[in-house]
Amino acid sequence: MTGAPVDALQRVPLFADLNQREVKQIARLFKQRTFPAGETVVQEGSGGAAFYVIESGEATVFVAGKEYSTLGPGDYFGEIALIDEGARLATITATSELGCYGVTFWDFRPLVESNGVIGWKLLQSLARMYREARAG
Amino acid sequence: MKGTVPLVKAHETALYGSKAVGLGQAIRDGLPVPPGFALSGAIVEAVAAGNDRAIKQVAKTARPLGGPLAVRSSAVDEDGAEASFAGQHLTLLNVPSSEHLGAALSEIWWSANSDSAISYRQRVGLFTRPSVGVVVQALLDPESAGVMFTRNPINGADERMIEASWGLGEAVVAGQVIPDSYRIHRSGEVLQRTPGFKKIAIRTLPEGGTFEQEVPPELVEQLCLDDGQLAELNGLADRCEQIYGPARDIEWAFADGKLHLLQCRAVTRSGS
Repeated sequence: MTGAPVDALQRVPLFADLNQREVKQIARLFKQRTFPAGETVVQEGSGGAAFYVIESGEATVFVAGKEYSTLGPGDYFGEIALIDEGARLATITATSELGCYGVTFWDFRPLVESNGVIGWKLLQSLARMYREARAG
Repeated sequence: MKGTVPLVKAHETALYGSKAVGLGQAIRDGLPVPPGFALSGAIVEAVAAGNDRAIKQVAKTARPLGGPLAVRSSAVDEDGAEASFAGQHLTLLNVPSSEHLGAALSEIWWSANSDSAISYRQRVGLFTRPSVGVVVQALLDPESAGVMFTRNPINGADERMIEASWGLGEAVVAGQVIPDSYRIHRSGEVLQRTPGFKKIAIRTLPEGGTFEQEVPPELVEQLCLDDGQLAELNGLADRCEQIYGPARDIEWAFADGKLHLLQCRAVTRSGS
């Protein structure tokens, strides 16, 4: 069986309050996905379905058509879509073959719904991220 | 692990999707469908999750087909009356062999779980978890291929409408050529034949995948179907309508001189 590396997920702020056993439960939900070089991985404004952690390769982030940053192994994107299925905030394009671990909200939601402890810790993480965003 | 059956034994739409069950029914009714297997949504998901046992099972199942393979999605709610997933879920032509099937199934699973597929599902009011079955068939190397409506989908006239081009039918389906167009009365009388402008043919590559082959100049505007082939297509339309009812949307191919049925589904929109 595959699944995302636990240490990569522990670096994601949304999962920062989870213990290792809880992160392992989430890691098991991930599936591998490969994007060929040049492919648009997510499109700004489109509905989001999955959260990805990059395993190998490189991707470029564009916001409003302008290059914003570069992503590489260990970087991640789309974690908020796991909760709100909201629109993507940036376009991400694979600049080389991009190996990722991904999980969709279809798989994530049942875990959270059935595990109140994980749900509460995610809520605390979101509250902290919200406070940090307000503080600028 | 259950979840792989020869197409002829694919009965349950909830397991294998409508495309697989439709093709299975076509085989059971004696229609000329290329041999293949149906894979359930559960086993496709297990393969995408990296389950070694599932990966080995699908490779073993498809091995008798040799290669190359055509791997087509057959989502459980695909081609339904309310929402067509055409263009949302992936079809992979020319997967080199059964050993490459795992990666192909993973791609197809993700195509049903992509941002665009999820957005589409929400737009059409589907909020259930996607489940994608798969049809695996030996890939044909057709001389010509295309689509056929058993009734005119625009005005409802009782005539066959055929579009055809050289090579794989994806050139027609994807609008990459101006195909030949034909209208045939169900009696067999050819009402109209109009040559298209077919500059490319989609062919298979030895290492997998497809490419666009330039069509020799003398064939670009030459009709790719003769009267005998049109009669065969009219016969296929008759048989499909007898089995499934009127107004069918058919994908077909001529390979090694034989007519093959690739897909038969209800016309989703009609002017009649």
